[in-house]
Amino acid sequence: MLDELCINISNRLNTGILIVDRHYNIIMWNRFLEVHANKSDNKVIGKSIFTVFPELPKKWFERKLSSVVQLKTQSFCGWEQRHHLFELSHSRPITTDSHFMAQNCTFLPVEVEGEVERICILIEDVTDVCHYQSQLNKALQELALSNRIDGLTQAFNRKHWEECLAKEFSRARRYKHDLALLMLDLDHFKLLNDTFGHQGGDLVLIETAKKIDKLLRMGDLFGRYGGEEFAVILPNTDLEGAEEVAERIRQSIAKNTIDYNQKIISVTASIGVAIIDSNDTRYEDLISNADLALYQAKAAGRNRVCLAKEVATI
Amino acid sequence: MSTFELNEDQQDCLQELINVAMGQASDQLARYLDTFVYLKVPSIEPVNSEQLFETLNQDLKAAAVVSQGFFGYEGIRGEALLMYQPQDSHRLADLLGYEAGEMTFDEQIIDLSSILTTTFLNVFASQIDNQMSYSAPRLLSANNAKVSEHLNQQSFNWDLALKVKISYQVTDYSFNCDMVLLIPEEAINNIKAVIDRILEDF
Repeated sequence: MLDELCINISNRLNTGILIVDRHYNIIMWNRFLEVHANKSDNKVIGKSIFTVFPELPKKWFERKLSSVVQLKTQSFCGWEQRHHLFELSHSRPITTDSHFMAQNCTFLPVEVEGEVERICILIEDVTDVCHYQSQLNKALQELALSNRIDGLTQAFNRKHWEECLAKEFSRARRYKHDLALLMLDLDHFKLLNDTFGHQGGDLVLIETAKKIDKLLRMGDLFGRYGGEEFAVILPNTDLEGAEEVAERIRQSIAKNTIDYNQKIISVTASIGVAIIDSNDTRYEDLISNADLALYQAKAAGRNRVCLAKEVATI
Repeated sequence: MSTFELNEDQQDCLQELINVAMGQASDQLARYLDTFVYLKVPSIEPVNSEQLFETLNQDLKAAAVVSQGFFGYEGIRGEALLMYQPQDSHRLADLLGYEAGEMTFDEQIIDLSSILTTTFLNVFASQIDNQMSYSAPRLLSANNAKVSEHLNQQSFNWDLALKVKISYQVTDYSFNCDMVLLIPEEAINNIKAVIDRILEDF
């Protein structure tokens, strides 16, 4: 009576139950597995588990079960390490993108007179958990990204860019590497905003940021410093190299024309260039030096590149 | 003295039960892993929830921490934390008898944690005529900073726990790890009741 009840319940469980002997032959399984594997009893009972489920990693599986037999203790296999062991269908084929059921498997020793004669494998459907965890991870990644990016221009935001500079600065000092910094300001941007409206101004910022980004190398760090001010960190770059990059950026911006409401907007930029100096103790010193060069470029008539070294010698 | 603290007899008795369990567990592990496994004499001490982070902090140079819950009859329950050092993790697959490409690092330490925890606690449970069940082992974090963060950010809903720390050494593979069993307040009284019963039988 109780046996019948147990079989009845085991066939209604939403957990797979599979029992094998020590030679990996299947002794029993419940309805959950029958349904999700879509195989009939007579092709399963008495057959080797490796024949019924050829997808199982045989060597791994044998070693796993040997720990259960020898140590007489249960063993686990979770979806986070192996998405699934058995290729089974699952209960959310429509609303998730999982092809097979994500599984948590438990291997239980079944002892007969002190020896492990059989192993009971419990298979839980965790496709749901797996799906939501993946969604969460994706959301966290997006959040981490949006925390670093300036929404308008897609360059790094000020906070993240400055953290990058602090890191690059201390690295360059420690290893005595070169480090250059460009500070870039769009010329007469306020006038441009007044003429074309803020949406026109925004478009100029977006298009200019795109232009600059295209000219940079891997490892260069590009950020929006303020309203119409951009900044670029150039690791392992000397003054000459930095000037070259700055000049290329200046020319590219000056040549660029932006279509806005059937009007053509063109814009120029002034750029200050500084490199790390043995007198610089803080990364803010590097910013100040580049800033001074930028003012110099503005004062000398805009649309030009000035080097901090020249400022110092004046 | 807090009512949760063990008296000298109880402490000795628990120590003895653990020693015997360690002996048998190391024997079983040696057979299965085919190499000698040394278990170092454990430390048993109460910790409160504020101290937990501090006391674990010495161990938290750990590269990874795996947690596994255990629960038996008579209200014996707790959580086992297995802590791994980064330099000790290279030959784990080898030690476990798997091929190098067969398992990720996470899977290796989870597998080993489960083996160490359940082997020891099964023997321990059989000594007190009990039987343990286990939750699936979970990797808390495979990164030192994150482990500290993980524990530091929690406000625990317990005040006091019994901490049993056992160190495992596998010299042939120059591998070490620590197992910390944490038994929550309400379970300490249950353990004490079991210990008292054993002491009475002597």
